[in-house]
Amino acid sequence: MVATRSKSLRKMWGQATPYLLILPVVIYYAIFWVRPVIAVIIGSFTDASGVFTLQNFVMVFSDENFWPALNNTAIIVLFSVTIEFIGALFLALLINRKFFGSGIFLFLTLIPMALPAVATGAMWITGLTAHGWINSLLYYLGVLAEGEKIYWLGGIEPNPTKLLALVIIIDAWQVIPSMMIILLAGLQNLPKAAKEAGYVFGGNFMTVLRKITMPMLRPTIQTAVILRLISAIQIWLIIVLLLGFGRIPVLVERIVYYHEEVPGLNISYQMAAGYTIVVSTIVSLTALVYLRVSGAFKKEETA
Amino acid sequence: MNRKVNKKIIKAAKDTVFYLFLTTLIAGMLLPVYFIVSLSFLSTREAYRYPLPLVPALKTDFELTYGENGYILSVWDRTDKEYQTVLDTNEVEKMEVYIKARLGTKITQEEIRAEIARLENSGQESIFFTKPRSLLYNYDTFFKVTRDAVPALIRSIEIAALTILISLSIGGLAGYAFARYIFKGKDALRFSVLFVRMFPGVAIALPMVFILAKANLYDEPLGLSLIYSVGAIGLTIWITASIFMGIPKSLEEAAQVFGGSKLQAFMRVTLPLALPGLAASAMYTFLGAWNETVAAIILTQFKPTFSVVVYQTLLGAQGNVNLAAAGGIAMALPALIFTFFLRRYINQMWGGVTV
Amino acid sequence: MATLEIINVTKRFGRKVIAADNVSLEVHDKEFLVLLGPSGCGKTTTLRMVAGLEEVTDGNILIDGVDVTDLPPRKRNISMVFQNYAIWPHMTVYENISYALKLKRMEKSEIDRIVHEVADMTKIGELLERIPAQLSGGQQQRVAVARAIAVSPKVFLMDEPLSNLDAKLRVSMRTELKAIHDSAKATTVFVTHDQSEAMSIADRIVIMRHGKITQTGTPEEVYDKGANLFVADFIGTPPTNFFDVELQRNGKGLHLVNSYFDLRLLPENEARLKGYNKDQLTLGVRPENIILVKKSKSILDTTALVVEPQGSHQVIAFRLGEKIIKIVAPALPKMEMGETIHLDFQQESLRFFDPESTLAIGD
Repeated sequence: MVATRSKSLRKMWGQATPYLLILPVVIYYAIFWVRPVIAVIIGSFTDASGVFTLQNFVMVFSDENFWPALNNTAIIVLFSVTIEFIGALFLALLINRKFFGSGIFLFLTLIPMALPAVATGAMWITGLTAHGWINSLLYYLGVLAEGEKIYWLGGIEPNPTKLLALVIIIDAWQVIPSMMIILLAGLQNLPKAAKEAGYVFGGNFMTVLRKITMPMLRPTIQTAVILRLISAIQIWLIIVLLLGFGRIPVLVERIVYYHEEVPGLNISYQMAAGYTIVVSTIVSLTALVYLRVSGAFKKEETA
Repeated sequence: MNRKVNKKIIKAAKDTVFYLFLTTLIAGMLLPVYFIVSLSFLSTREAYRYPLPLVPALKTDFELTYGENGYILSVWDRTDKEYQTVLDTNEVEKMEVYIKARLGTKITQEEIRAEIARLENSGQESIFFTKPRSLLYNYDTFFKVTRDAVPALIRSIEIAALTILISLSIGGLAGYAFARYIFKGKDALRFSVLFVRMFPGVAIALPMVFILAKANLYDEPLGLSLIYSVGAIGLTIWITASIFMGIPKSLEEAAQVFGGSKLQAFMRVTLPLALPGLAASAMYTFLGAWNETVAAIILTQFKPTFSVVVYQTLLGAQGNVNLAAAGGIAMALPALIFTFFLRRYINQMWGGVTV
Repeated sequence: MATLEIINVTKRFGRKVIAADNVSLEVHDKEFLVLLGPSGCGKTTTLRMVAGLEEVTDGNILIDGVDVTDLPPRKRNISMVFQNYAIWPHMTVYENISYALKLKRMEKSEIDRIVHEVADMTKIGELLERIPAQLSGGQQQRVAVARAIAVSPKVFLMDEPLSNLDAKLRVSMRTELKAIHDSAKATTVFVTHDQSEAMSIADRIVIMRHGKITQTGTPEEVYDKGANLFVADFIGTPPTNFFDVELQRNGKGLHLVNSYFDLRLLPENEARLKGYNKDQLTLGVRPENIILVKKSKSILDTTALVVEPQGSHQVIAFRLGEKIIKIVAPALPKMEMGETIHLDFQQESLRFFDPESTLAIGD
């Protein structure tokens, strides 16, 4: 009798171990993530006096900056994730060749990732002003004549396409390294024999890459892309640092705008909460669609 | 014989082209970094010249002549390639301040007086002299002028350390569970790193102000590190899970068979083996906590972090981009050092877990 | 030393997977018992339950009569050699071997004596200050064994300890393991999927399949008297040849017939099949029990498909319908591919199986 009780206790204890190990995380998330999230969700469905309303979302959707923000975000996400993926994959493949000095090369490519946002902000602000280092460099290179200047961040008629392109390039510059390390780890963990077999059976570099390396790398690619996708939709800081609020409106920039720039308005909190819910919905849906399309769920079902 | 030589030449040529390509690539990538570093060494006067000098000057050339108010001090302008008048004054102190602050050049009042004496004794209309630049002037000034810089730096270190402690202990436990056990909710845990990121961080920061205020943690390093850990824990779970997966379970089992409890087995075998990887994970967390600015702006008031101080210098310093640059570079330095060590552990950190 | 009893032990993973299904066996004092079976048969799970590394779903495990089912590994007085050795890479060989002794709070001088003793026994006396990364696979294997015998356990567990070694080393190591066992006199459970390893090293072999024990016996017993088709097929290389035959009873006696041969059974074999009433039967003949004879005495004539000379003997393969049959013949006379061969079965070694139940008949 005693023996069976101690046995079941030990068994329970053994089975409980993983749950005890993850308990702190669950509690932590509950306090520091779920609670504020619920607060924002409630905020988005109530008016200033705390009464339930859908008016906040009506205001968000009729905000003159909402559709441009959505549009700009979509463009930035589409181009930046594509460019970043290609750039990161290229660098990862290059470093994976393990040439002499590849360790140092790796470190150098990681530098943009290590720089704080304020440092990169300072870097681009000082670069992109009319008398900044980019124009200076172009002048020394002979591209710009004396007195000639390119007004990167504006000039007389701000051109959203040009500004969007700048934002995309700057974002890519900073983000490629963090995507690259994930892909590089994936590449390094691929069995070498599979690739070698690809070459032995007549593949050239491109076919081996397309038919063997990439498919085998798929789980890693999914990881890298989904992480990037989620944060790309939430881009705003570099835009505000470079251009201030409202010139290239994007979704999260709107949240910050209502939070930080015009916190005094009586609709500020409602607008920010409404935008937040819209953004998270878009992010979750995009992530879900990506995972479905890329087949991450299928893999689990068969496993 | 000939073919061998040919092959060698072709190999050498290929290598040269390859490394040239790499150099170009890196030069292109790091060009912006070069300029911000260069800017952080420029004198305030030169930082606003156009076109901007490509390299910081190591010395400053002066011309001293007589002027209406006393003496005219001119400096060599590297952009316009001529001496340009900057001061017309009788006061040595004013000269010293200008030379130090605007030109970032080392000089003492005695030295200025000596040069003035030399001008008067020479009987010439003007004399020339050269003084070495104090290259670290901007860095020095950033910490001296920016009242909060040093305490903010200490706070930032404190916050980063706390964030590492919180996320590594809490996330490390979960990562271990993830690597070693099968349990319900494992997939949910795996996706939690994504879920947490799906909600904009800035949006959470505002309700967090109230939550932290209630707990008396608003404007406190601990409060901020608790917030930073929300994002850091998810990644820590992934990374530590990947690290623990790389350590064969049988090593731990052997320790159990040979007389250790589960805890002893973990402490004596798994932990020492995981240590380098965990250190890498800690450095990764450090990067995030150290560099974070936005939440820090929202969640601090009188106790800003270093990143907030640099941010304010950047926005407030309309006349001092070189100071802001120095602050930014000073801030980037520890992050760069950690990245240097981190690069060896990329595989261990990211090899194990995927979505 | 000690005895080990496994009583009605079952291991389930989740709801569906049954890794060990009501396994019962007894290991005698100082016995070298081998758990043998194909991968996934539950042999390693059974061993790990004995070690305490895997929880027992149902049943009991007794060491020296003491129920250890719920004890953690460290309280069971066992030791183990792992498949991938599991020697700790951050400790020297000396530290690896002395780890358990230190945890037992032994005197330093006593630890030192034991470490050197087992190191000499396993021929790693020179390597004590090295770290595992500086050792070859065979040396790591020896360290794992030395570590296991240093604690003088009641039961010594080995989980496929030789499978990571190259073929030659594997053979020499198994001889050494046997010698070490003989001198250490430890009750040993050894898991392997390699039947020739099991045959050469075991006092007794337990053959498992699908989580169940299908046969227990000495190497000779499981070789000569395989309890069913699976055992007869699994033990021995080349494996037993099987023929589906029809029993034909006529006035002159009992015949086993198929489209290739007609074998008239000797009276003693006829007696073995007395109680068997079905018409179909599976005949099992070991490769060495199919012999080359003169044409006049043969029951089967065919042509050699492949001849594999092995030095001491030759393996001759031929085709019989869809099947490839292999026989082992003396090295001389040397056969050639395509040569006509005349064959007979040695009747004293024939095995009979019920094709429906797959069980052996007439033992």
